Amino acid sequence: MLTPKNQSLIIERWERRLTFAKEGRARYISHLDLMRTMQRAIKRARVPIWYTQGFNPHMYLMFPLALPLGTDSRTESMDISLTEDIPFDTLLKMLNSSMPEGLYFVKAALPVRKHTDIAAAEYEVEIAPDVPAAEALAKWQEFMAQEEINIEKRTKAKKGKKPGVKQVDIKPHIDVLCAEERENGLFFRMRLPAGVELNLNTGTVMDAFESFSGVNIVDNYTKRTKILCFDGEEFI
Amino acid sequence: MKEIQQKIERLLLKTQKPARYIGGELGSVVKDRDKVDVRFAFCFPDVYDVGMSHLGMKILYGLKNSRENWWCERAFMPEKDFEQQMRENGIPLYALESLDPVRDFDFIGFTLQYELSYTNVLEMLDLAGLPVFARDRKALTPLVVGGGPCVCNPEPVADFFDLFIIGEGEEVNIELLELFERMKPQNPTKEEFLREAAKIEGIYVPAFYDISYNDDGTVREIKPNVPEAPARVKKRVIKDFDSVYYPESFVVPFTSIVHDRAVVEVLRGCIRGCRFCQAGFIYRPFREKNIDTIAKQTRCLCEQTGYEQVSLSSLSTSDHPQIEKLLDTLADYTDSENINLSLPSLRIDNFSDELLEKIASVRKSGLTFAPEAGTQRLRDVINKNVTEDEIMNTCRMAFEAGYGTVKLYFMLGLPEERDEDVVGIAELAQKIVDLYFGIPKEQRASTIQVSLSTATFVPKPFTPFEFEPQALPEEIDRRQKLIMDAIHSKKIRFSYHEQKISKLEAVLARGDRRICDVIYTAWKKGCTLDSWDEHFRPELWDEAFEECGVSREFYANRRREYDEVMPWSHLDYLVSREFLIRENKKAHAAETTRNCREGCSGCGIKQSYGGTYCGKVNS
Repeated sequence: MLTPKNQSLIIERWERRLTFAKEGRARYISHLDLMRTMQRAIKRARVPIWYTQGFNPHMYLMFPLALPLGTDSRTESMDISLTEDIPFDTLLKMLNSSMPEGLYFVKAALPVRKHTDIAAAEYEVEIAPDVPAAEALAKWQEFMAQEEINIEKRTKAKKGKKPGVKQVDIKPHIDVLCAEERENGLFFRMRLPAGVELNLNTGTVMDAFESFSGVNIVDNYTKRTKILCFDGEEFI
Repeated sequence: MKEIQQKIERLLLKTQKPARYIGGELGSVVKDRDKVDVRFAFCFPDVYDVGMSHLGMKILYGLKNSRENWWCERAFMPEKDFEQQMRENGIPLYALESLDPVRDFDFIGFTLQYELSYTNVLEMLDLAGLPVFARDRKALTPLVVGGGPCVCNPEPVADFFDLFIIGEGEEVNIELLELFERMKPQNPTKEEFLREAAKIEGIYVPAFYDISYNDDGTVREIKPNVPEAPARVKKRVIKDFDSVYYPESFVVPFTSIVHDRAVVEVLRGCIRGCRFCQAGFIYRPFREKNIDTIAKQTRCLCEQTGYEQVSLSSLSTSDHPQIEKLLDTLADYTDSENINLSLPSLRIDNFSDELLEKIASVRKSGLTFAPEAGTQRLRDVINKNVTEDEIMNTCRMAFEAGYGTVKLYFMLGLPEERDEDVVGIAELAQKIVDLYFGIPKEQRASTIQVSLSTATFVPKPFTPFEFEPQALPEEIDRRQKLIMDAIHSKKIRFSYHEQKISKLEAVLARGDRRICDVIYTAWKKGCTLDSWDEHFRPELWDEAFEECGVSREFYANRRREYDEVMPWSHLDYLVSREFLIRENKKAHAAETTRNCREGCSGCGIKQSYGGTYCGKVNS
């Protein structure tokens, strides 16, 4: 008879919250692929990771908040559990010993906040429009001066309802902290909702801006700078 | 490079699975382009997901990059969405490590794993900005080279390549690149280089051979036209397989690919000699690695890549002389590290209770068998030495261990196939279903599902069936219907492989140089990614054959005489023509041939090639 594996393993576990960067070529790793990539990185690093117990043991990894594809960040979070208490800096060194280009860990600590506390994130967005920067900025101000900014959102099929498209007003959720000309383009800092309740990506905002203004965004470089809790504190 | 990178990045977010197009994976080798002397673009003529699963590429990539002043990079066929974007935005085919255009490389190497990838080769050359015909590429570089199993008959693509590498690549690749490195400073012409290259054993330069034809369309003669080209090009074999180069690490992709795991090659060649199987002949002789070598390579690869699964690769893993001990050794390691050990390619006849338990302890998925033919007589014709008793025994063990799904693979259109053989496929499936219901309820799985799958037989070069006609499509249709009518249980599912694909494969597999124009014409009409059902355009291929005035039936459905000059007669795969003829005659008499371990049957391979059982008569 087959028995579940790992039944006799130590149950005691040490929880760790890791902060990592995802930049350069690594920006194009999708969230699902990131999970696999991290599992392999942990295995290569020979970190004493805690495995789930059962017929099909797997590493326990949790990402409190997904990062949109193509966005740069140095403030991403990943929770793991260890079977041994190893110092934070040793853990960091082990993990960083064999990472792919653009993916690395910057901090290891004890988790403080719950992932459900996450409510918003801050971003820096640099765009190169196909019109002069001053003109693009004027269009942006017009865009933000609208009463409502409606976008189409695809809805999932639910009981008795077919999948469809509905209009959503995203205006109240866009908190622009800075919008200015920079070199040949525009630079923004903005705060958008993130977490279990509501998520809004910079991509959605920029798409809405493009279709409102007729401006074409040729290059776009986006970076997430902060993950924030509902009380305005940084997520740690 | 920066410019290409910027252009690529602009497109990535509009593309399916963008991580396929930007490189940067762990294990990918990046060197300083100013400090290398030879640059090689290893191209796999299919999409990333498929190409990255290919073991040969991983071996040759690691091998070439182990030389400090050589740089081997990877390139794949883009999906249609990204290909269109590349063309619209002026992005040439680039290599994933440097993002440099492959047209600036010294070598562009394609591995030809299946015939239906041929149009992709043309597409990739064209995307690179190069003429597809070798004669139109006048400069020394890039040299377009090909290898892999399909080059045992490279004639249908001969016009597109500068040279082919025949047989196993580990040694001859090094010799070829060393020659290039030596000659490059003297700025040789392309012809001067190719003449020197032709002297290396295993290098075939198609332009150095003239082909003449008989009135009936068959090949009359294949003759070298330069003194450097040998009359017959002999394939290369690694004589000391245990100590051959094996990579210590793989490129670990971000996106999931078809075979996303560490792979260790445990043996090469096959002892079985199934008469339809090309791999069983062109990879001879049988050689295995020592258990210690395999264990060391497994551990090293797992540690370097972090893969959670390792698979043993071979044509028939259970034919390793010490399979049980091997599995024990590996399982000790993989269990302790929470790594899954998977064993594809096990044979029914030596599938022991113990072996089954070892596999089941890893993960309980389905069982897959390939009896290939429905009756014992026909299995004897094809020399698939598996008996019905063995199949039933294995299924009983599997059901008792709780397995509930069985997949069975068959071929239709085999030589000597009769209607009773075809109906036998459905009958065998029924017997397996009955067997399941004969096992006490508390022991067996809660449901049973037997899946039958048939493919149309495609005769291949260097097999005893290279003389055989492929069955006509109407006949295959009729036989498929016979099976369908003979299935009476809801527990049996039947599916069959797209026939039009097999029909084309049969022409490409045994074609001669006149097929080059057909491939070119089909590609010009828009055929690429032909092995993908959603992209395959049989009507365009029909037009191409028509316009080129080439008859498919001549290549696919004609019986070839024993003394016919085959389009691949100038290539020597060490297995003798006499042996193939002997085997063909035995097939028609439904006589089997013992496997290499039971005793040598004299296929023509000399003992000096290092085969474990070559020349040995006892069992």
